[in-house]
Amino acid sequence: MDWAELIGRVAARGDREAFKALFEHFAPRIKGFLIKTGCNADDAEEISQSTMVAVWTKAGQFDPSTAGAAAWIFTIARNQRIDAARKAIRDGRVSKEIVLDEEADPTLAADQIVSRVEDATRVAAAIERLSVEQSTVIRLSFIEERPHSEIAALLGLPLGTVKSRIRLAMNRLRDLLDDAT
Amino acid sequence: MTISHHPPEDLLADFATGALDEAERLVVGVHVADCARCRRFVRAIEQLAGASLDAAEPVAMGADAFDAVMARIDRRPQAAPVVSAIAELDPELADLPDMVKRYKIGRRRRVAPGISMRPIQLPGTGKSRAFLLRSEPGARMLEHTHSGNELTCVLKGSFSHLGGYYGPGDFDYGDDEVDHRPVVGDDGPCLCIVAMTGDLRMHGLLGRLISPFVRL
Repeated sequence: MDWAELIGRVAARGDREAFKALFEHFAPRIKGFLIKTGCNADDAEEISQSTMVAVWTKAGQFDPSTAGAAAWIFTIARNQRIDAARKAIRDGRVSKEIVLDEEADPTLAADQIVSRVEDATRVAAAIERLSVEQSTVIRLSFIEERPHSEIAALLGLPLGTVKSRIRLAMNRLRDLLDDAT
Repeated sequence: MTISHHPPEDLLADFATGALDEAERLVVGVHVADCARCRRFVRAIEQLAGASLDAAEPVAMGADAFDAVMARIDRRPQAAPVVSAIAELDPELADLPDMVKRYKIGRRRRVAPGISMRPIQLPGTGKSRAFLLRSEPGARMLEHTHSGNELTCVLKGSFSHLGGYYGPGDFDYGDDEVDHRPVVGDDGPCLCIVAMTGDLRMHGLLGRLISPFVRL
């Protein structure tokens, strides 16, 4: 399935069929991903729903030449999760409400779009050149936020090896991204 | 603008996955917005996270979830433009990066001769606080250490310490091992955005004398 094309159809003409296909694929995966990374089931359901609402409203901002559909949806889910945490705190506080742009993307400034396509190519090339071993430790440590001891048990490696492997993987990713200059 | 000091990779990865607290996210975000190199690193982590999301074991949504989402889409309010009223009245704030302008910024407080700060009022109860630190040319920060981490991004001007020269966009990461004493460059006042956990600890007699009054 070409997810990028479906997002384009949502953006172009509010295509509900396309959106339904996106929902059926991504919503349960967002929920599963959130639960795996520490959300409780109720919050995960709510954040998955609000992420899909934002997928609809932001579909016009999606640029398939700069990000994959899954990565784009990940960033939306991440921001929705941050907003949900803010909201939870705000609701617990009666006064002193701070109003924020609820769906602000912390990484995107409007004047930063110059060479995004070129960047995307470099990023994709770097990821491709990471070894499976390296992308695995990055995923376990940073994306799934597992403690080093758990990663050690999971991979059957000594703790020290896990720590150095994570460090090496991060340095390698940095080098691969710099290399392409 | 040449940026030569960057956040450590694990901080960038935590930024990309949303694991930082508000103050840290803001300071790293200010650097990333200016730094193509770090932006690529963040994008790479986002791509890996996207792949991980796509490969996640699906968990069934609530029975009426799709209808609930469509109902929310159909009745969503028109987005009202967010206008920052404070920024227009205050010349120092007018030049700030947009992501900083979204927050309410408190009144200036004098910290030491030539040094003042303004707190940034963040939502949430993160472990770190964010503030704008303004130092006059030639000002010397008191010798200090931290009881936690300090993340700094230069917005204007420059400073130097043992780690080198830091100009606009440069990122300085200090943990509790670091005992530094930045000197502000003579290219105008230095404005930094700082996220700090714990309290500053002043060294030396002067530090001990004034530290009860300096609560950064």
